[in-house]
Amino acid sequence: MKVAPPPPALKSATTSTPLRVRTNTAPLTSTCPPEDKIDLRDVTDFRRGRGDLIFSLFMVAVAAFFLIFFFTQTGWEDRKLPANMAKYWMDQFGITDPDTRPARLGRILKQGWVAPMAVLCILVPAALWNLRSAVRAYRWRARFRLSNDARYELRQWVRTLEFVGWFVAYTLLVPVLGYLVSTMLLGTALPWRLGYRGTRWMRICAATSFAIVLVFRTGLQIRTPVNIWLYDQLPQGLSTFLKVWF
Amino acid sequence: MEAFWQGIDNLASLPVLVAILIGSVGGLAIGAVPGIGPAIAIAILLPATVFLDDLVSLVLLLGVYGSSMFGGAIPAILINTPGTPVNALTTYDGYAMTRRGEAARGLALAYSASFFGGCFSILIGLSALILFGPYLRDLGALFGQRDIFMAAALGTVLLIAAHRRSIGIAALLFALGALIALVGRQSLKQIDRYTFGVDYLYPGFNLIVVIVGIFAISQALFLLTGKDADPPEARLKGGLLRGFGELKKHPLVAMISAGYGTIMGVIPGVGEFVAQFFSYSTARAISKAPGKFGRGAPDGLIASEASNNAVPAAAMVPLLALGVPGEALTAMMMVVFFDAGIKPGPDIFENNADFLFSLFIALLIINVLVLVTLLASTRLLARIIYVPNRLLGAFILILAFVGVFSIRNSFTDCMFAAGFGFLGYILRRLDWPLVPIVLGLVLGQIMVDKLTAGSSQIRTVYDLVDRPVAGTLFVVILGVIAFTVVTNIRTKRFEH
Repeated sequence: MKVAPPPPALKSATTSTPLRVRTNTAPLTSTCPPEDKIDLRDVTDFRRGRGDLIFSLFMVAVAAFFLIFFFTQTGWEDRKLPANMAKYWMDQFGITDPDTRPARLGRILKQGWVAPMAVLCILVPAALWNLRSAVRAYRWRARFRLSNDARYELRQWVRTLEFVGWFVAYTLLVPVLGYLVSTMLLGTALPWRLGYRGTRWMRICAATSFAIVLVFRTGLQIRTPVNIWLYDQLPQGLSTFLKVWF
Repeated sequence: MEAFWQGIDNLASLPVLVAILIGSVGGLAIGAVPGIGPAIAIAILLPATVFLDDLVSLVLLLGVYGSSMFGGAIPAILINTPGTPVNALTTYDGYAMTRRGEAARGLALAYSASFFGGCFSILIGLSALILFGPYLRDLGALFGQRDIFMAAALGTVLLIAAHRRSIGIAALLFALGALIALVGRQSLKQIDRYTFGVDYLYPGFNLIVVIVGIFAISQALFLLTGKDADPPEARLKGGLLRGFGELKKHPLVAMISAGYGTIMGVIPGVGEFVAQFFSYSTARAISKAPGKFGRGAPDGLIASEASNNAVPAAAMVPLLALGVPGEALTAMMMVVFFDAGIKPGPDIFENNADFLFSLFIALLIINVLVLVTLLASTRLLARIIYVPNRLLGAFILILAFVGVFSIRNSFTDCMFAAGFGFLGYILRRLDWPLVPIVLGLVLGQIMVDKLTAGSSQIRTVYDLVDRPVAGTLFVVILGVIAFTVVTNIRTKRFEH
């Protein structure tokens, strides 16, 4: 059976000779030294970037959360206030003369809900004000065709959760393997994960981890978990030694 | 004078001297590494201080605080990267000197100016204690609960106003910090605030858990997800001893800068940045060659370093005299006072005067030790600059665990610290300031405590301001608010 010859390969644009700009002029040179001075405005100035609007919205949600639960979680239900608050405040500021001896302001200030209310009086307006500024910055960026795509920023936040996970795993590992072993393990595994591989790096990391244990646990006797599964599997003498010093 | 000698006597013990040495040298190394500042180091060390003697703990933290800015000048001058944020202005003239092949001259000047600035404010503090000590004891009578409440309120207003471009964010985060501090059972009326029936929340969030999370874990996450810096190789040739000779040629700049640092340090919420701006601008204004500023002017370098190193000793004043911390580092030190059962405030002059002398004399020793260490080992310290950032991040994470777990043996604390760390990471990414949260935690609690304690004397709203100190502070608060509003309106008009 005759097989049809394959069709000639399509010549795509990408396989064609790339466009090269040839110029006979000398390369651009400058006599000015490179401007690598730190701009102090970068240190003190503040500019809203991508992701700011999302976080500002989150902060409004946090403020709203605290505001909603203010009425049930701060003792507001058991508040003790004068019957006519408008009259009370007018008496307080001397606008009107009190009919009877007014309640002491200090008695009101002592109540549990006062401090949260005072803080919420700053938190809620500040969160809304900040959201307004974030929206304005978002519009400004859009107007000047700067990217407002927050996906990169969100990806960075999510990427960080990996290292939060390392921290949590370390926390959970300490009661199983003990402070010494867990620290040595994390102190070498995490740098390995970060790309510091090879014998030299591993030696440095193991030595640093061991030094941390020596300084904090052996030297300063800082509290670490006591009931260690691994230590319990060891002979009594060694187990006690490890529990005391490592 | 008896308290002075007793103060020296307190320091003459091996653990205290070792703590001074470790704090000073450790602070230098921490300052020299771009990426970790003194706040992270103090956050990690805080839990360890629970197991140490009060004075040992405080001199250890003071060592880190007082020496980190010395160390921060090294990368600022050699590789144009400030070791701590407050060394940013040092890069202007310091790095210009390095590019001219005068790195050693820049470092020598930075060390001598830093030493001068540090000693200047310490000696002023010590002189004030000696000269006015007997009168300062009467401060206790002058400052009541309402006065300290007003001082904390002034600190809050100044802190928020200092964030000129992000006042809304500073206020928001301050309030968030204050609200976090309010979570838990109110001891006076036994009312549970935002506990939602969760047992863990009844005692409230531990301050150290929040601080370690917000500062240390967030910085670890920031470093871990970033890239290793590839700083240029720095070459250091020449002696470091000639700095004092050059400093003597600029006595006025040195004095003015150290003076600015001392004054700005005393004002809560202002700190090193403002002191540097003022002193640098003044130095340029009085210079015969202002055009050389930013191009390796020695007086520019002196202005920057003398002012920022004068701040730590001065920043101890509002903390010790009023119990009101002015910035994050002194707020963290407040935790040590809480643990030690020492109440910083006006009464400290009456009850613990020797303790005050001990702290200021320790700061003086720290400055001398740091200078000697720098002169002897700058070449070694300069190598610390090249420690990879991400590796540092990994070890900060390990250290953070010890810090958090050791407080209450609680895994839940560790989980919450991780949560606060993640929050802090997002704030860092968005360039939102972290300091207002910590100051909200501390100052918010102080304000609530003082207002509650003084409530029996508050009959009407005028009783809040009817004392001389409280009234004056209230007027200052109104002045600061008015000034901030007016300058913001003017700036906005100018921009439009």
